[in-house]
Amino acid sequence: MFLQRLSLQNFRNFRDEKVEFPEQGAALVGDNGQGKTNLLEAVYYLEIFRSFRGARDEQLIRFGDGHFRVAGVLEGAGGAERVEVAAGYSRDGRCKKVTLDGHEPARVAEGIGRVGAIVFTASDVEIVAGGPGARRRFLDIILSLVEPGYLSALQRYRQILAQRNGLLRNGASLPELAAWNTGLVETGSEICRARARWVAERQASFARYCQRISGGQPTDLKYSPSVPAPSESQGHSAAGGDEWRQAFREEIGRQSERERRRGVTLVGPHRDDLNFRLGDDSDAVGLRSFGSAGQQRTAAVALRMVEAESLRAARGWRPIIMLDDVFAELDPPRAERVVGLLGAEEWGQVLVTSPKPSEFGAMGDSLPKYRVVNGRVRRL
Amino acid sequence: MSVIDDLASEFARLPGIGRKTAYRLTHHLLKVAPEEACRLARAIDAMAERVRRCSICHNLSESDPCEYCSNPARDRTTICVVEEASDIRAIDSSGGFRGLYHVLGGCLSPLDGIGPDELNVESLQSRLDENVREVIVATNPSVEGEATAAYLHKILDPRGIRVTRLARGLPVGGDLEYADGVTIAQALAGRRVI
Ligand SMILES: Nc1ncnc2c1ncn2[C@@H]1O[C@H](COP(=O)(O)OP(=O)(O)O)[C@@H](O)[C@H]1O
Ligand SMILES: [Mg+2]
Ligand SMILES: [Zn+2]
Repeated sequence: MFLQRLSLQNFRNFRDEKVEFPEQGAALVGDNGQGKTNLLEAVYYLEIFRSFRGARDEQLIRFGDGHFRVAGVLEGAGGAERVEVAAGYSRDGRCKKVTLDGHEPARVAEGIGRVGAIVFTASDVEIVAGGPGARRRFLDIILSLVEPGYLSALQRYRQILAQRNGLLRNGASLPELAAWNTGLVETGSEICRARARWVAERQASFARYCQRISGGQPTDLKYSPSVPAPSESQGHSAAGGDEWRQAFREEIGRQSERERRRGVTLVGPHRDDLNFRLGDDSDAVGLRSFGSAGQQRTAAVALRMVEAESLRAARGWRPIIMLDDVFAELDPPRAERVVGLLGAEEWGQVLVTSPKPSEFGAMGDSLPKYRVVNGRVRRL
Repeated sequence: MSVIDDLASEFARLPGIGRKTAYRLTHHLLKVAPEEACRLARAIDAMAERVRRCSICHNLSESDPCEYCSNPARDRTTICVVEEASDIRAIDSSGGFRGLYHVLGGCLSPLDGIGPDELNVESLQSRLDENVREVIVATNPSVEGEATAAYLHKILDPRGIRVTRLARGLPVGGDLEYADGVTIAQALAGRRVI
């Protein structure tokens, strides 16, 4: 599937803009603040119906307007299948509306993942170098896209967590706490199991990408759950739902005194983390604290690559790859190897942005160029 | 404020009715024959006057005990627990249940300050004499409804009562009130011990 046409109405600094893209993709050039990232944000909005920059829907509406609409026409190979994914949001009523070929799915969540797209951004390094929240958010997005039932388990888990914390804050009776534990364990275990399995499946490929980008050191990706992982010996990918539920229940039992004292839920996937470790097993160090900026950027790009790989496996088509100003951040040999990797593998359409056309390197030569100026897009 | 504004602001307090609809309803009543408006007023008046909470099950009814609690043909071994009195109509018209009811008055929600003491839990416990063998928890499939079911199981199970939950199949997050009869009857038939 590739994005054949994109129309933007009152989205960020676009007033009413229609752009067509060829199957291979486009290189978007333009000075800072012209709308390049806004355009990629709009495309990815059609994938998850949220901003990848973490902006609220309200902030995506063009200043002074009351609503925005984004629509994309996606086409399969040879024009085989065509689907229009559209989304809009209006300020009054705070109402989000999603349509697939004009039909509104029963729930917004049913519409996600129809585009099949990945965004690489310069701030991805925060996933590796920043706090654990960004790493959980990364896992939640990819798993919501590839794992059936994950998003609904996550939504229920968050609601239960908020209720249970409310209860703990105000001093809970034991049977009441136990009543919330049931749902917490049920939904939380589903999340843990999906995360553990995803990391186990993608570990080897993550290490391979790191090596190919940096030209050296092995880097390991490891799931670090708040619930002690069951059956460590066989690697936790092997653990099923029952094992996770049991481990979760036991840990809640162990922590219950502390939880009641502190008035907050101390166990569960909301406290999980991902670890990036550099070097051989015996003297491996954490990339987050001890990695160089270059090593951290390498890991961030590799993480996006495995995300793309996972999406491709789940969807059965090549995802759209979007690269937002990433080459400026990488040193030239690394940048070249990333371009090489992107060229070597079976990815779909590529949308790449940069203020300087020279930074596209080899990639820019093969893609048609578009200029973005003050919310207008023009093919060069 | 005029009497027109008065009535419109009363309408606007009803669920699902905004200011615009409130004025539309008011002007509609001004257009129809006066008898028709008075008939509506009398129906509301009679309802407010005569409908009470059943002192046994908290259902809304003109008689106390309500028509279910006082009906000797109902099966007294099973009590179906619902969140609101309006759920009873949905379940009963499905034809899948012939026992008694108990209205909780909501479900557990610590964030809204609703614990067991805010619900009709104690009166449920006091109804559980030696006749009652099963309690079917028909709270909504929301996380709050599920937690309420788990809570009732925690406190009733030690008393040797079979606590069951409707089978899945009801729209998640959807209200029981809006589910169709066939779906409800199937959910009742497929109920499981918690
Ligand atoms: N809601 C909005 N309405 C209008 N303009 C916006 C809105 N949000 C951001 N902008 C404008 O978009 C521009 C930033 O666009 P962006 O796509 O991030 O630039 P770049 O081309 O450097 O990637 C800024 O000029 C900003 O003022
Ligand atoms: Mg930008
Ligand atoms: Zn009654």
